Formats: sequence, structure tokens, C-alpha cells
Amino acid sequence: MAVCVAVIGKDNSPLYIGGIGNDPNADNELSRQWLVHTALDALEERLSTTNNSNTNSSTNTARADLRDLYLGLLYSTDTHKIYGYVTNTRIKLVLVTSSTSPGSNIRDAEVRTALRRLHALYADAICNPFHLPGDQITSLKFDKQVKSLMLNNV
Amino acid sequence: MADDIVFDLLHSEIINYALEQTKTTNGSKEVDLSVVEYIGFAAGYKIMERLTREWPRFKDELDTMKFICTDFWTCIYKKQIDNLRTNHQGVYVLQDNAFRFLTNFSNGHQYLEYAPRYVAYTCGLIRGGLANLCINSIVTAEVQSMPSCKFHIHVQRT
Repeated sequence: MAVCVAVIGKDNSPLYIGGIGNDPNADNELSRQWLVHTALDALEERLSTTNNSNTNSSTNTARADLRDLYLGLLYSTDTHKIYGYVTNTRIKLVLVTSSTSPGSNIRDAEVRTALRRLHALYADAICNPFHLPGDQITSLKFDKQVKSLMLNNV
Repeated sequence: MADDIVFDLLHSEIINYALEQTKTTNGSKEVDLSVVEYIGFAAGYKIMERLTREWPRFKDELDTMKFICTDFWTCIYKKQIDNLRTNHQGVYVLQDNAFRFLTNFSNGHQYLEYAPRYVAYTCGLIRGGLANLCINSIVTAEVQSMPSCKFHIHVQRT
């Protein structure tokens, strides 16, 4: 199941990092930040290969559509798997799942759906007149919706 | 249709309101449309996240401009841009032969001097939309004979 979800802005500043606390580590907030932070380099790498897609498209046959917003599994550690999604507006969405907890066999399609729904929630959240572009998302409604997304979907 | 006209009316009232505000603060005859332009910018910035949700990643700048001409324009003005020209060096000219905010009140040269008021919002809208897609630009408009209108987009490269 998903343990952490993050929204990262254009300039790599965190707009929202949320998680549900079944992480065994004592320092939950820090470990989440660290997990998400390590994903950013992998995201940049994927994006740059997308840009010169013509040259190495043959080597990347695993990814059918190089222009897809969903970038798939970025990398996995012993305990976590990290998935990425970058919108057209260069907002980065990161989803971290735990590979140790029961029911950890998550299909790629499920993660894709979850991230698409997160994108929809984000698009709604920035239309909130009390939100300034580039600021952290403080909306409680958004927080609640993301938490339920993490619990239900993945 | 009635539901479409609501947006047109709100738009023209915003312009009237902005003009009234500047008249009371400045006391001069000078027209300040930067407020209207900024309203457009904020709206364009926010709406872009929604509109590009179902779209694959844009290949390049021209691909983005085509999106502006087709889907973006259809969403707001219920029609597509009639003509897109570019010099491939960062200048794009979008021509709309029946611009929604102008068709209502003129068909020729009458009120031509007031036309800039009714294109400021759209200039901001385009600029805001592009800004969210990480393209910094300057957008100006040109009205020669109503209701047709040209938007010039100068992409700022740093």
C-alpha cells in the first residue's frame, strides 16, 4: 500500500508531502522527505531521455509511450518502491509504496490510476482562490482526499 | 445561448469596473488595463493545469502553440484559431477572424478605439497559460478591422 505521496513544484520545492503512519521508522516525516528527495534525480533522468526519444527509443521498448505523463517505477529499495508522474506543467507527483507490508503486490495500472487521480485532485486544489501558485498546499480538503486515495486505491 | 453570454457579460463588466477604479484613483483619462491583464494571467495559469491533464507531454514549443490554438481556444471561445504563423524564432501570430468579445458589438471600424479594452484579458490568459507551461512570453494584440483580431506572442528566451 501507499505510504507516502508528494507533490513537487517546478523548481523542485515540496508543495505537499503526505503519508500515513505505518512506517516502522521513528522519524516518519524525515524519512518521507528523504525518500521523495532521492526520487527527484531519477525523475530528471527520465525526463531528459524523453526529450531525445528518437535516438534511444529502440532501447526503451519497455515504455510504450514516451510522451506519457506517467513515468512508471523510478526505482526500488529494500523496503520501498517509488513511482513518478510529471505533468505538462512540470509538477512532479511521487508515490511511494511499501514492499514489506502485506498486500504489497501492486500492479502498475493501479499506481497509474492513483497518480492520475492525484493529478485531478491537484488541479482542483490550485483552483482554490486561497492558494497562491508556488506555495505549499495547506488545504485540509486536499489533504483528506489524498489520504483516502492512499488508503483505498493502492 | 444564455449560458455562454454570462461569461461575456461578466467580462465586459470586469472591464467597466477596472476602468472605473483607475478613473477614481488617477483622475486622468489614461486607461490602465494591467488589472484586467493580470486577472487573465491568473485565470490562464490555473486553467492550464486542468486542460493539459489528459494530454500527452508536449514535444516542443510549436506543439504547445498548436494546443493553444485548438483545445485552449475551443474551451474558452468555442472555436479554433483561424490562422497560426511563426518565424520559428520565438514569434507566433494567432489570428482569430471572429473574436468572441468583439463580434457582439462591431462589424467594421465603429468603436475601434475601444477595442484594446476587450483584448487585454485574453492577452493575459495566453501569457498565464504559457507561463504555467514554462514558456515566458510577451503577448500583444492587434485589431485592424473588427471582429478579427491578431495576437502576437514573443517568447522570451534567457
